[in-house]
Amino acid sequence: MTTEPVAGSEFIAHEAPTLRETSEEIEYEMRSAEGAMWTGGRLVIGIGAFFFGSLAFAYFYLRSSNNEDLWRPNHITAPTGIGAAVFAFVVASALLYGYGTTRLRAGNTLDWEVTGWVTVLGGFTALGLQVWEFTQLSFFPGSSGYASCFIAWGVMNTALILGGLYWLETLLARWLRLRRAVLDDGGPARSTMPVARLFRANLEGCWYFWGFIAFVNLVFWVLFYVI
Amino acid sequence: MNGGGETHHFRRLGVIWAVLAVAFDLVYYFAIGPHVPPGTLTSTASGAQFDFNILFLVAFPVMAAVWVYWAYALIVWRGSKSDLAEPEGGPKSRGHLGIQVGWIATTTVIVLGVFVFGTVELIVPAGAGGGEGPSPIWTPTSHEVLPIQVIGQQWQFTYRYPTFGGFESRQLMVPAGTTIAFHVTSLDVIHSFWAYQLGVKADANPSVDNVAYTTTKQPGAFTVRCGELCGLWHGAMYNFGKVVPKAQFFVWAQSTEHRSAANTKNLPPFAYTYVPDANGANGGYYPDNVDPYSKVETYGATSPGK
Amino acid sequence: MAIDTRESVSAEHSGHTAPPVRPTRRRPGWLGPHLGRALVGAVGGYAFGHWIGNVIGSGYINVQGSGQNDVAIVLGLSIGVVGWLAGAGMLDYPLAKIAGREPLPPAPSKSWTRYLGPALDHKVIGLQYTVVVLLFFFTGGLLAMAIRTELLNPTSHVFGPGTYISVVSEHGTIMMMMASSIVIGPLGNWLVPLMIGSRRMAFPRVESFSLWIFAAGYLVILAALPLGGFPTGWTGYAPLQTQATGGMDAYLVGFAVIGIGMICAGFNLLATIINYRAPGMTWSRVPIFVWSVLATAALLTLATPTLVAAGLFGVLDRTAQTAFFVNEHGGSSYLWENLFWFFGHPEVYIMALPGFGIVAEIFPVFTRKPLFGYRIAAAGMIGVALLSFFVWQHHIFQSGINPDMRPLFMLTTELISIPTGFIFLNTMGTLWKAKIRYEVPMLFALAMGFNFLIGGISGVFLSDVPVNVTVHGSFFVLAHFHYTIMGGLVFAFFGGLYYWLPKMTGKMMDRRLGKWHFWAMFIFFNLTFLPLFLVGLLGQPRRVFEYAQNLQTLNDVSSVSAFFLGASFLIFVFNFVKSIFLEPKPAPPNPWNSLGLEWQTPTPVPAYNFARIPVVLADPYHYGTSDGQAVADLGPRTLSLAGVVAPAAGALDAQAVTGEEGSADPRPPIA
Repeated sequence: MTTEPVAGSEFIAHEAPTLRETSEEIEYEMRSAEGAMWTGGRLVIGIGAFFFGSLAFAYFYLRSSNNEDLWRPNHITAPTGIGAAVFAFVVASALLYGYGTTRLRAGNTLDWEVTGWVTVLGGFTALGLQVWEFTQLSFFPGSSGYASCFIAWGVMNTALILGGLYWLETLLARWLRLRRAVLDDGGPARSTMPVARLFRANLEGCWYFWGFIAFVNLVFWVLFYVI
Repeated sequence: MNGGGETHHFRRLGVIWAVLAVAFDLVYYFAIGPHVPPGTLTSTASGAQFDFNILFLVAFPVMAAVWVYWAYALIVWRGSKSDLAEPEGGPKSRGHLGIQVGWIATTTVIVLGVFVFGTVELIVPAGAGGGEGPSPIWTPTSHEVLPIQVIGQQWQFTYRYPTFGGFESRQLMVPAGTTIAFHVTSLDVIHSFWAYQLGVKADANPSVDNVAYTTTKQPGAFTVRCGELCGLWHGAMYNFGKVVPKAQFFVWAQSTEHRSAANTKNLPPFAYTYVPDANGANGGYYPDNVDPYSKVETYGATSPGK
Repeated sequence: MAIDTRESVSAEHSGHTAPPVRPTRRRPGWLGPHLGRALVGAVGGYAFGHWIGNVIGSGYINVQGSGQNDVAIVLGLSIGVVGWLAGAGMLDYPLAKIAGREPLPPAPSKSWTRYLGPALDHKVIGLQYTVVVLLFFFTGGLLAMAIRTELLNPTSHVFGPGTYISVVSEHGTIMMMMASSIVIGPLGNWLVPLMIGSRRMAFPRVESFSLWIFAAGYLVILAALPLGGFPTGWTGYAPLQTQATGGMDAYLVGFAVIGIGMICAGFNLLATIINYRAPGMTWSRVPIFVWSVLATAALLTLATPTLVAAGLFGVLDRTAQTAFFVNEHGGSSYLWENLFWFFGHPEVYIMALPGFGIVAEIFPVFTRKPLFGYRIAAAGMIGVALLSFFVWQHHIFQSGINPDMRPLFMLTTELISIPTGFIFLNTMGTLWKAKIRYEVPMLFALAMGFNFLIGGISGVFLSDVPVNVTVHGSFFVLAHFHYTIMGGLVFAFFGGLYYWLPKMTGKMMDRRLGKWHFWAMFIFFNLTFLPLFLVGLLGQPRRVFEYAQNLQTLNDVSSVSAFFLGASFLIFVFNFVKSIFLEPKPAPPNPWNSLGLEWQTPTPVPAYNFARIPVVLADPYHYGTSDGQAVADLGPRTLSLAGVVAPAAGALDAQAVTGEEGSADPRPPIA
């Protein structure tokens, strides 16, 4: 989720300034922090899965009950073009970011920076389209089960993309500040500096999360526009 | 205090438990059981009473086993201020395979037994008086089923008798010795039709026909309460009904049908569900010029034959 | 901080210089983040949000002249929460992060004022949580006594129906919100790092955030009363929900807000338990309380998003006029029931498992025996957590959903009683040939076993569909879940408080007053709720203000006992104030002579918990063995095994510790 500091030593710095951690302890806490980043990154996906799972449940529940034949009268569909564009931007952004991450692992920092910022741009475009779509609907929110689910999807997807963008942007911003020191230490892929190690763990979590965003967008694109 | 071997403790515990469990179960079965609510006015009521009693007869020995053991332990194995030596620890007290496996096996057998019993008791008496939704899968074997519609609205129940011209009554009269299908629906929020002594409970959902079956036995009186929080006057949403002999019921039904004929004409035609005006000018969700895709304009959504 | 200390450390070790970091500005004194600023932010945020909502909503016909604008209320409450969080300093770092900044190290405060502001120390947050859940609990308790006052008489009334139903709903909602965090919040946060030998939480800011948003939830749900209350009870069934007035928005926003807090709390605890266990703290040595927190945190993290989503659907129904729960427009009232209970049933076990953990932790200490069946206890908790996702429809057996699912949900519900029952196997096995010490925590733990047995067995009655027809929605259900939550969890929580407060506050609670509190609470709890089983069986539905005349005696016994039950908490409050503030009696570091790792620390526990990361050598339950094996190697000068007094924090000779560095570290290298 976020890069959290390793607070153990932080308290030691204040309360017992002369109490130094052994190198073993530092390494141990370091691994714990990396592990927490790993766990946290996956947990965020779990949280998101149940969140969007609830929407999927609502979708299928209302679809199968079809009360008063008002699940989806006349097969109404939200603006297909905008929906496809949102989907395309999100998936393209995620793929691009994934590509950038592999480039970073290969040691190419510049590629990662460029793809990262382009991803941010793409994400914001998708976000803007998702919000704009609300003004282009051919149905009222309460006119059918489909319409209700679609409104909720718009709100939830906005929150999801916003979350992904925040994560990615903070990573990029932090990278700008760490850039020089980490590059001096062998680059982001190999540096043994604690910040660099945490950065790598964070980066991977963020990539997985973007994969999750793309997956969710794929599923609901199919649900709302294709079938 | 800690004297005696394991078998000694086990034997004592077993004897206390067996005596208590058997004694209580016997007292319960003969003295308390027959008086347990909801009584024996209908098949489902006596079914519920029987099931509750069986569960209690199983549950009490289980609870007694735990309580007897605890009471025994708390008295026999209490520590003393003078004796500070710690009890025997070690791997032996960390777990005993036989006891653990035995515990799991016993509880599993009890639980599965309770499950099988509950399922049989649910399916055989046609849903045991619970609401089965619009398409019941467990239906009564009787050929003659009297349908009665229960309409919940804030904050009262009314009843319609489709076999008698669909008249609506605020009094629930039920013939004795008859299988009855309650069709429970609501006009606004969720209520629950809880005919307590009949052993019937079914939620009243708007635009849902929730069916519950029971078979009445002897005549008697019963209470109907709303069993699902439905707003301000939920606490005052109750009325009373009667199970009366068949002949008396027919007299009542036919005379009421006749008496309220003018009123029945003004009612929406009988239907299993009633959809309030979705397009209405007062409090509807849409301005009137918007088609909410609704095929119904007002009460009377579907015909009884739906 | 990662930069501040890490960098300098790594500079020492690998010869790098720290990159220049511009620290975020810290405002001094009263301008800084604290409770007062949070309140100002909440009020300002509400006013602002309400204004925006009026601007948005005033153009719509259904808002004009209706006297109610749900958009304004929802926005007011939401932005109020954001204002509260901003005032509490919860947004400082997330915002600074956008510019890539690192957080500042925590202020080295020893003053009591650190309890009024944001904290990173899990022990400060744990105590803050304690205060907030007690606030929740006592508010809900007062409302409960109001309900019992109304039910003193079957026909004459103290409250009007609107007030009464609002009181009932507030009581239920507040108590449910409280109970989902009552153990996890105070004890989970305070104890878990100490129990697993960690110096910190994995995500202390997320933890702090969970506390402050939890407190915001308290304000939001209380705001329902001035907004007109809500009539739905804690279950919030639609369409009544859609029909209700402004207080309903507070319910929906409040539950979503609390839900976010629960997710954050669970998230942090999961990451901590999985990653920050000390060397040697293998999964077979983790204290059973930590296992229970692990299972609970998993439920909090994964089940609560459903609640947040359902709350969002409800809010959309009420503001954007969608039709999720409106049958006539293609929605379904069953959708809310399903979503709510899909969260609601794991929630029930969120409110049971931590209690099991506390009891299983207290039993070995006061019987001086190892916990019987440690593995089965841990497996049972995980089993309960998994199964709890598959039982939700037993709440809606009579609602008219497809009947074919009924036997299945009856089976899963009854199956879950098997792992739940393991707690009795554990406690009974531990009692075998023990030497029981009747201290206050042990009394509460024993009472928990007594109450939970009644609660659990009555749950089997409820899961049986034919019996459910009679007891569903009656006082029988009410008595059942009060026996499990109040009789189980709350008793365990107070046992845990008496047990751990000497470590948390450094003061001993008065033993005699504690026993008075216990006996009053135990007797009057049972006198309050045992009659209610009978009342329910005799046909009294829940949440009513009128009932049959013949039930008055039973109701009155319950009501009068409820007042005494409420009064029993005054003894606790008196004991707390007396023992902690008025006549403090310093507690030794390990007053109960426990083997738990948390007791091997000095009192008060230093902010960094352990001067050396401990190396765990055994599980904390090897009582009754003569080998005298230590639980953990705590490094030089801090060994305080049972009975040995540990040095106070101030006396910790840091120089001596650092002197060890590089030379003869007695511990094995960390693999």
